[in-house]
Order: sequence, then C-alpha cells, then structure tokens
Amino acid sequence: MVAREAGVPVPAAGAVSIAIDGVSKAFGSVQALADVDVRVRAGEFLSLIGPSGCGKTTLLKIVAGLVPADRGRVTVGDRTVTGPGPECSVVFQDFALLPWSTVQKNVEFGLLLRGVSPGERAERAQRTIAKVGLAGFERAYPAQLSGGMQQRVGLARALAVSPRVLLMDEPFASIDEQTRRVFQDDLLSLWSEERKTVVLVTHSMEEAIYLSDRVVVLSPRPGRVHQVLEVPLPRPREGGDVRATAEFARLVDGLWKILRKLQ
Amino acid sequence: MSERADADFGRAGVAAILGLAVAWELLGWLDVSMFVPPLSGVAVTWWKLLGDGTLAKAASSSLVSLVKGFVPAAGLGVLLGLAMGRFRTVRQVFDPWVNALMSAPLSALVPVLIALFGVRDTVVAATVFMFSFFVVVVNTTAGVRATDRSLVEMARAFGAGEATLFGRIYLPHALPAVLLGLRLGVVQAVKGMVVGEMLISLVGLGERLIYYGNTFLITELYAVILSVLVVALLAAQAVQACDRALVRWK
Repeated sequence: MVAREAGVPVPAAGAVSIAIDGVSKAFGSVQALADVDVRVRAGEFLSLIGPSGCGKTTLLKIVAGLVPADRGRVTVGDRTVTGPGPECSVVFQDFALLPWSTVQKNVEFGLLLRGVSPGERAERAQRTIAKVGLAGFERAYPAQLSGGMQQRVGLARALAVSPRVLLMDEPFASIDEQTRRVFQDDLLSLWSEERKTVVLVTHSMEEAIYLSDRVVVLSPRPGRVHQVLEVPLPRPREGGDVRATAEFARLVDGLWKILRKLQ
Repeated sequence: MSERADADFGRAGVAAILGLAVAWELLGWLDVSMFVPPLSGVAVTWWKLLGDGTLAKAASSSLVSLVKGFVPAAGLGVLLGLAMGRFRTVRQVFDPWVNALMSAPLSALVPVLIALFGVRDTVVAATVFMFSFFVVVVNTTAGVRATDRSLVEMARAFGAGEATLFGRIYLPHALPAVLLGLRLGVVQAVKGMVVGEMLISLVGLGERLIYYGNTFLITELYAVILSVLVVALLAAQAVQACDRALVRWK
C-alpha cells in the first residue's frame, strides 16, 4: 500500500519486463521505426503515443511477435521475440471478434488454441466474462453487442489465457466517450488486482496520462523515442476525481506541448 | 409486373405468378397459337405424365446425373476455391482458366465432352460438372480472400498455425460465400443437366423435351419444362436450407 501511494507499481508475481533494443522497421521505402529503445518494467502500465504514422502500432505488433523487426531485438521476460509467445495477449482496435461465435466461444478462443481442455475452457471463460462485467451475455453474438461490450469481449479473451503481458492497440479508439471512461476505470481496477505488464497504444493524451505509469512519446517518420514522461499521479486513480486535479491538467498540457511540436 | 418471384416469395411475388398464370390461361383459350396451350391443359398433362411414370422415369435419370455431376463439382470446387483464396501461387495458376471457362459458352465444349466421355450417361454428369464447378470456385475464392485481416492476426497472436487459421478463420469466414456459390452452382447444374441431355445423350428430362418438341406435343413439352423449373427450384431451396442451418450468425 505504501508503495502504491508513492506511485510505484507493485508487480504481480510472474510479471515480466520487456526490453526493446534498437528496433528498426521499414515498409518498402517508408522507414516506420528507426532504432527504438524502450524498457517496460515488470508490472508497469506504459503507453505509446505519437502523431499518426509514428509507428506505434507497428512497435506493438513487433513486441507481440506479429510483425518481424528488420533490425534490433525484443525480449519479453527471458524470451527473445521471434513470433507470438504464450506470455502476451493482444487487444485489437477493431476488437477482432469471430462474428460466427458467441461471446463464450470468442473468449474461449485463445484457450482453445493453447490446448486447454473443454471443461476448463468453459469455466475460465465464464469467470473472465464475469470479471469484465458481461455475465449473462455468454450466448450473445458480437453483432448483438455495443462497441464497448464487444471490446470487453476482446479484453476477456485476452485475459482468459492469463497472460503476463497485455498489449493493447488503441482499444478504446472506436468507443464513445462515456463508455470509454467507465471502461478505463474497469481496466484500471482489473489491472490493480493483478499487476500485469501493460503496453497501450493510444492517440488520446488524457487516456495516456490517466492510465499510465509512464508515457513514451514517439516522433513520426521514422518513429523514434522522442521523450519518456513519468506520470506521478497517485493510484488508485479509478473512480476518483483524478481528472479534475490541477496535476492531471498540468500533465496533459505538458504532453500536448511535446506532441504539438511533433505534428 | 415489376416484382418478380425469386427465392423469397413475397405477396407481390405470388401475385406476379398468379397474374402470369391467368394471362397464360386466357391466351390459351383465345387460341393465339398452338404453342400457347391453356395452362390448365398443361397441368392436366403434367398430372397424366406424373401418373403414367413418364416424368418419374425421366426425372430419376436426370437427378442421378445431377447428383453425379454436382457433388464432385461442389466438393472439388470448394477445395480449389479455398486453395486459390489462400495461396497466391495457386490463384495465379488457376485464375485464367477458371475465369475463361466460367464465362465461356459451355455448350461450345459439348463436342469435346462427347469425345472424352462418349454419349453415355456419364457425359451428362460431365456437363453438369462443367456448368456448376466454376461458379463454386469463384465464390469460395472470394469468400476466403475477403477474410478480415485482423481476425487472422488475432488468431496468430494466440499461436495459430496455418492449419488452425484455415479451419478456424478462413473456412468459417468463407462459409456464407461458399453456400452462395453452391446455390448459384446448383442452378447452373440443372442447366448443365438439360443441355447435356438435349444436345448429347438424349436421356432423362432433356430427351423428353426434344421428343415432345419434335413431335409437337406442346402441352407435354410445357409439362416437362415446368418439371425442370421445379427441380431447379427444389435444388436451390435445399442449398438455401443448408445455408440457414450453417450460417445462423448472420
């Protein structure tokens, strides 16, 4: 508790750190990322922000093992990333739900692919669905849910496999503001129960400050680490009036001043 | 008659069919031409042909050819379509052939089919295959290719390999398009069946069409034509029933 009030994350047992060393990536003649170094501490909530085209999503996908880096290396825990690994879960901007499967089957999908037995799959999925606040919707199809609820399914699917690292690619981008705020608070309280390492890609300054321990600002074309910002706001932040504090406003404004110069 | 009856019969569709039937009947009574006998006469003849086993005999031969041609066309068509949708090389190899043969007037291939299969029943199955195969391939390919990239990425993030991607993402995603292809394909198959029977083999319903046409038994001719339409409609409805059973999420 003492540590928490000081704003220092208390990592979950088994939380892992991520090391991104000298990562570069080009798509054809477009240099997306150039020599990016980022360290994510175990149990830290870290945001990547930057103007569009700065390669923040590409960087996240490289960490997820979905896109290979041209140069440099990424280490998650003690595994050098060469492809998708069991310790990472990804939450996608467009939710990426299977439209032909129910909420229950969507949440079970990751467990299914990892060879978990049907009984355990059903049980773990049910538990995670309840955790994200969707109990009672197990048999609904994605098309029957609102955007916010669909992303809760996406989050549940990611959490169901008990990942050590949660990689989120603009998860709230296509969700309306009011739903987003409730969802952000729910995410923070889920995260505080079990401090997984989180990397969040966002284009919202308020979101980055509100959620993160640190914010990495990337510069555009090619994407490089421009600055790393500490967010010394006390936790827990959810459910309170952190957004109304002068400190929050000062941090958001500071971030805006950095980003404005990069436009 | 702007509304036409298709797979979903609405009130307007039923009205259109009834209107056509009434117009036909009246034209028949007015005796405008020997080629327009009254519909009631056609119906009576149809009933007679059904009763004396003529239609059953012809239709059973036709349906055997339809099944023998369409089942392999559907199976192989889906397989080739899946492969073409998933692998660029396969697509590059087969795309020109599929496109050419899909748009070619297939009746022109009849002499080739005769050379290959002779004039036995098999040649009808072969025409059925040729008529229905390509539309199944094209639709399946399109269904696979339209797969949402982020679904593929999501599955890969959970460690899916090629086989899993195929079975869990590409195939279910393509399923509605596959079933549409099968629905269009089965209608083509009926066309192929009639063409094969009329132009090559002289068996089944096609043979009856030729016979009644040549002998000017016009009511019988119409009775057989209507039977062919019924076969096509039932076949399409059967595929649509599969569609509804398999694709409940849409």
